[in-house]
Amino acid sequence: MYVVIIGCGKTGSAIADLLSKNGENVVVIDKKSISFEKLSPDFTGFTINGDATELSILLESKIDKADMVIVTTEIDSVNSMVSQIAKYIYEVPKVIVKINEPDKAIIYRNTDIMTLSPTDLFIDKLRYRLAKEGSGTLNEESLS
Amino acid sequence: MRYIEILKERYQLLTKYIGILIMASSMFLLLPLLSLPFYPKEVKYSYAFFVPAIIMFTIGFIAWKYTKHNREEVSLSLKEGGIIVLISWIVTVISSAIPFMMIDMLNLTQAIFESMSGWTTTGLSVVDVTEAPKVILLWRSIMQFFGGAGLVVVMLSSVLHPYGFGLYNAEGRSDQLLPHVKRSTKAIMVIYSGYTIGGILLYILAGMSFFDAFNHSLAALSTGGFSTKANSIGYYNSLSIEIITWILMLIGTTNFATHFALLKGNFKVFFKNGEIRLLMLLNAFFIPILMYFSVNNIYDTLPQVVRRTIFETITAISTTGFSLDTFNSWNLFGILIIIILMLIGGGTGSTAGGIKLYRIYIIFKSIYWEIKGYFLPEDAVRKNFIWRGEKKLALKSDFVMEAANYVVLYISTYFLGVLIFLSQGYNLSDSMFEFASALGTVGLSVGITSVDAPSLILWTETLGMFLGRLEFFVIFFAIIKIFKDMKYYYANK
Repeated sequence: MYVVIIGCGKTGSAIADLLSKNGENVVVIDKKSISFEKLSPDFTGFTINGDATELSILLESKIDKADMVIVTTEIDSVNSMVSQIAKYIYEVPKVIVKINEPDKAIIYRNTDIMTLSPTDLFIDKLRYRLAKEGSGTLNEESLS
Repeated sequence: MRYIEILKERYQLLTKYIGILIMASSMFLLLPLLSLPFYPKEVKYSYAFFVPAIIMFTIGFIAWKYTKHNREEVSLSLKEGGIIVLISWIVTVISSAIPFMMIDMLNLTQAIFESMSGWTTTGLSVVDVTEAPKVILLWRSIMQFFGGAGLVVVMLSSVLHPYGFGLYNAEGRSDQLLPHVKRSTKAIMVIYSGYTIGGILLYILAGMSFFDAFNHSLAALSTGGFSTKANSIGYYNSLSIEIITWILMLIGTTNFATHFALLKGNFKVFFKNGEIRLLMLLNAFFIPILMYFSVNNIYDTLPQVVRRTIFETITAISTTGFSLDTFNSWNLFGILIIIILMLIGGGTGSTAGGIKLYRIYIIFKSIYWEIKGYFLPEDAVRKNFIWRGEKKLALKSDFVMEAANYVVLYISTYFLGVLIFLSQGYNLSDSMFEFASALGTVGLSVGITSVDAPSLILWTETLGMFLGRLEFFVIFFAIIKIFKDMKYYYANK
């Protein structure tokens, strides 16, 4: 599988290490070259230093041939733009985007873009745990 | 105390890796035996390959199986990769030397020399090819084939886990074709084997026997230069065979990443590549002056002069080491040009040796930029690019420094080696020629390297080939790290 990861922060670099170790072809794009130092020696893919909102950078990463694009920058507007470029211009089969501000999830409504929000995941996990312990107002039924 | 524990654990991991590499490299020893059905008379030599293969496999198996190792899937750093590369190379070279000794062809020094010359794709030889059995000739070519790609590349493409990125970088073949190291090494092996098969077919079409075509194609693409004939390519005296050899040598000296761009039809990138441009420029510059000032005096007709010059220029710069004739009749002008070409060497990430075109290219480019910068306004912003593989690369001053350091180290080692030659009573031009050939893993010879050569000379060349192939630093880093760790271990035990 050919994966392009945009943004090499805490999330992006960890995903890149994981996928590369599992034998996927991985290309990481980040604006700052210093971000690539977060990558571990497990990572054997390519790194591209540049702004992912520029088409030339996206083309350099061969986004048109990607099977999956994962967008993990810190800025939601960049995420939404890049993920939509990937989905609708280059028709990447699978686009996954990180949502920093949960309210912004509305941007991706009615699109084929898969969204993941760290905040929501945190809340879900917490809810699940509390429900398992059966404490307070939360119980097993409220999980459904 | 805790550090000692970690250190122990790391070295156990390294031993495991080395074990795997040794086991796999013992398999190489069995490959020449595949030819035995065609040469049934030589079955008597098979023990010379079986015995070392079994010994190496056992050693590797013990190292792999009986080393304690707690955690799975640990990554290697570049320094640790260096240690693995260094030790597996040494072990492989020694085990590959055993067949030569077991059939009583060579003594220890000569056998190690021949094996090192094979694995480093040099091509200097002390074997008498007219009397050597066919399996031994085949074994020399096989060493060159795998040595050309590199032990680690071959292993990563087949048996080894891809966790060892440190390994890949440590072997001096650092350009990646695809964004995953395993696929990258596979792509390299496919391209390399493909060209080799093509080479075999072309040689057969040009009239070689299958055995000779096989050996020469392997030796040309790996820029090795072992031949099955005493007079090398000159034996055939055929223009078509020479032209095929030119092409194969030039292919061999080109970076695999550049080949990858070319094979995908990206001609623009191919011709923008600095190494390709420099290679063309050097050929265009040196071939005419070499013809006019040197080779002109040896031959009577123009076609002979042209053929000889083109062949020797390409064989020197591609660090192959095939030859059409001896260099005895060449004047000093020609000899020095060949020495310069051998020092420059081929492309990075190819099978060639020498200082490498890439380093020469960026040093000259940076000289040009410096002069250009002098005439620009003081606060002008400059951005300098070069093309490498498929990519446009912004050139930082670090790269230039690394390249310059390497050149200085290379030249210092070179003169040290030449001094050792001179101390043995050889004259200056012969010594310079022969050691440039060994250090650059070329394989051209003015006749110093032979069965009668003193063992000091052979060992100097052996070391030179090893340093030249693994590009110095890995060996230094690995040895220094081993010593430092040992010192720490014994001081705190």
